[in-house]
Amino acid sequence: MADGRQPIPVKVRPISGGSTREAELGAVPGVALPARAKSAESPLAQGLRRFRRSTTALVGVAIVLVLMLVALFADVLAPRSPIASDQTHTFERPSWDYPLGTDQLGRDMLSRIIHGTRISLLVGVSSVLLALFVGVPFGMIAGFYGGRVDALVMRVMDLILAFPIYLLAIILMVIFTPTAGLIGTMKVTGAIAIVRIPIYARLVRGSVLSIKEKEYVEACRALGVRDPWILFRHILPNCLAPIIVTTTLGIATSIIVEATLSFLGLGTQPPTPSWGWDLKANVSFIQANAWLSLFPGLAIFVTVLGFNLFGDGLRDALDPRLK
Amino acid sequence: MRVYILRRLIGIVPTVLMITFVVFVMMRSVPGDPVVALLGDAYTEEDAVRVRAEYGLNKPLLVQYAIWVGKLAQGDWGNSILSGRPVLRDVMIRLPVTLELILLSMGIALLIAVPAAIVGALRQNTWADYTATTIAMIGVSIPEFFIGVLLLLVFSIGLGGLLPSSGWVYLPGTCQTIICAAGLWGNVQYVLMPAFALGVGRAAILTRLLRASMLEVIRSDYVTTARAKGLSERPIVFKHALKNALIPTVTVMGLQVGFLIGGAIVVETLFAMPGLGTFGIDAIIARDYQQVQGFALLTAFAFVVMNLLVDLTYTFLDPRIRYA
Repeated sequence: MADGRQPIPVKVRPISGGSTREAELGAVPGVALPARAKSAESPLAQGLRRFRRSTTALVGVAIVLVLMLVALFADVLAPRSPIASDQTHTFERPSWDYPLGTDQLGRDMLSRIIHGTRISLLVGVSSVLLALFVGVPFGMIAGFYGGRVDALVMRVMDLILAFPIYLLAIILMVIFTPTAGLIGTMKVTGAIAIVRIPIYARLVRGSVLSIKEKEYVEACRALGVRDPWILFRHILPNCLAPIIVTTTLGIATSIIVEATLSFLGLGTQPPTPSWGWDLKANVSFIQANAWLSLFPGLAIFVTVLGFNLFGDGLRDALDPRLK
Repeated sequence: MRVYILRRLIGIVPTVLMITFVVFVMMRSVPGDPVVALLGDAYTEEDAVRVRAEYGLNKPLLVQYAIWVGKLAQGDWGNSILSGRPVLRDVMIRLPVTLELILLSMGIALLIAVPAAIVGALRQNTWADYTATTIAMIGVSIPEFFIGVLLLLVFSIGLGGLLPSSGWVYLPGTCQTIICAAGLWGNVQYVLMPAFALGVGRAAILTRLLRASMLEVIRSDYVTTARAKGLSERPIVFKHALKNALIPTVTVMGLQVGFLIGGAIVVETLFAMPGLGTFGIDAIIARDYQQVQGFALLTAFAFVVMNLLVDLTYTFLDPRIRYA
């Protein structure tokens, strides 16, 4: 106030999670911030606001939503059967009748790709969720109780992590013996989930280790709150942000792993349409029919890109420090 | 420091043994066994029992593993059940192929990632940065085999067969079989596309990481101090910023080895290269126990050694990190 003006007393509005600088801004007349919610915004709401401002993140969400719709309504959207072969129309070039052409058995590529969305998303999402539901409790227990429990759980997790992930996933798939259909898809899901469990256990254990020393956990203990309640009601919500980010980006990785296993012939078996398998099967015809390998590859790429953009956006929004 | 390295080197042994043991147990829980494939149409129950006894497959699991380790200690990696060839010799013939592929792909990755990350970080939020980050985003989202297919389309089919689509010719000097290149190009033309396919994904991951840590480092006080001293931009970027920004990147490089092994399997399969990747996947699918053990041994060893190298790199990048 160098110019001698009297400071005008302004009631400082509570501003969401903002810095003190932001509060100062609000106190200066004329520079008032737009009125926001009356009560303090939760970190999650702030994150969502940041997320909505990111164009790339929204593009990612759009891709993911479209793919989910395609997977849900594959039966309606696919113009033909993805598995019925038609010997009179093999190796059709892309045309009005067959927008993406047909393969060596005369199967419509567009329909195969549309149905392939199901396998890809199903394996990608469910393997990560499975790993999450197993890994998170293990990590929480290990971090919360420490000592021998911690040593035992983390020893097992380190054992899995000591493996190059593809070596483990490949051997697991050979043990499970790949098959077609839903069972085959579940086997791939299981193999990928096992490989990914330690990622969550480690992540959550680390967060729990720091959170359990916080005063509010101590307060809970002093009040006689039981351990499970502390763990699920007070600790878990506070380590959600990294879990959410890892999960979204993990779906992208899982989809690549699924496509790779499938490419190596160890994914869901034909006739069930799977992008990785379709790409591999058609590489032999690449000389004359390049599009047959191109389209499944593009499908994998777009799907993985969608989840990566989505995950990146979430990370920037939920944990700005990581940017 | 020397004591530390020695201790770590000794520590490799139990880890490698553990990994090979788990692989051993897992492979034997795979339904069916190699004897069925070996006997083929001539399969009879008596023959199968005899052959199993011949290879010691009827002994308890732990005994079988102990025998394998005992032989290994004498430098005997065992013989392939299906082909009868010594595993060690097969592995040694294939090792240079994969080694060349992985080293070259890592080189390509660094060659792309380091400049891209530096430009991205120094010119943050300019078109150059956006280009680098967008390409990196695309790079992390493409599986290796699809990059491989795109390369095949352009260089093998599009450009009139500029590069061969499959096969392998050994580097002059490393020749162990009859197929040996006369000149360098004879070998390089076979490794370029696979190495690029494998390297691009790595480059993308490295670019993203290195850019992020560069951004953090160039805002730190010591960089400001260096600028205030009047140091020119080049030593600031390369000597001060890059070296410190490399630490988290090196960690992730080490973690990438697991993916690199998978990538090598995929790329070698796509380009039909006679490397360790194809050796491993063929052995696993055929359930050739001895070959799988050899593959697991080498993979585990490479994995553990890489992790050790990563830890040692820290001491070079940040002299404050010391191991006692």
